[in-house]
Amino acid sequence: MNPTDKTETEAQDVAAPDPKAAEAIGRALAAHYADLVQAPLPDKFMELLTRLEDGVRVSERKRRRDALG
Amino acid sequence: MPSASFKDELLAETRNLRAFAISLSGSVTLADDLVQESLLRAWSNSEKFQPGTSLRAWLFTILRNIYYSNYRKRSREVQDSDGFYARRLTVPGDQESHLDLEDFRKALTMLPPEQREVLTLIGASGLSYEEAAVICEVGIGTIKSRLSRARAKLVELLKLDETSAMAVERRARRAG
Repeated sequence: MNPTDKTETEAQDVAAPDPKAAEAIGRALAAHYADLVQAPLPDKFMELLTRLEDGVRVSERKRRRDALG
Repeated sequence: MPSASFKDELLAETRNLRAFAISLSGSVTLADDLVQESLLRAWSNSEKFQPGTSLRAWLFTILRNIYYSNYRKRSREVQDSDGFYARRLTVPGDQESHLDLEDFRKALTMLPPEQREVLTLIGASGLSYEEAAVICEVGIGTIKSRLSRARAKLVELLKLDETSAMAVERRARRAG
């Protein structure tokens, strides 16, 4: 997935939207994204990271034990 | 070996990562799978992350790669974010530039993903042109061109050109 066609890089001369429209888009985009960022996060991500971290702890203990033994 | 603080850093970025995933795929279900897979991949490749660089940009790169290699087809079949958004609101602005957020979101889904992601990365996630260029594996010129075409398309879809033309007319009438 890496479309680098020439027409794309050359198509920079798209007319800039008027400042008012650009501002409205900017505000809408920020509101849209803020809404997503503020949405409650499912627990499963925290659980996954905790499991991964626990996995590290277990393997570290095992390594120490192996080193001693 | 990832440290406990790496876990906290990942966790701190998860909301943003998920917001990017939902914006990119248009589906909450897909986005959650994408985030899950990205976190796993980030954890097992933690030694490849260079401290001092942007963890957000690194995570977005991972998620985007997974999306384009495995999920893009599926996202056309599943568009389930309709009921997800918490609020139905009008974006604050003066009278001439009021935008209904729902309309804006619909318009956003009509953009090609390449334009939508650039708009999201730069306009919303606070990444630089340079970071967006690295994430999307294209030059800065392409990033700028996608951004301006995305904005132009939104103006067209949301009929903002008309609105502002009407506003100008109204102002002219008031003044005259």
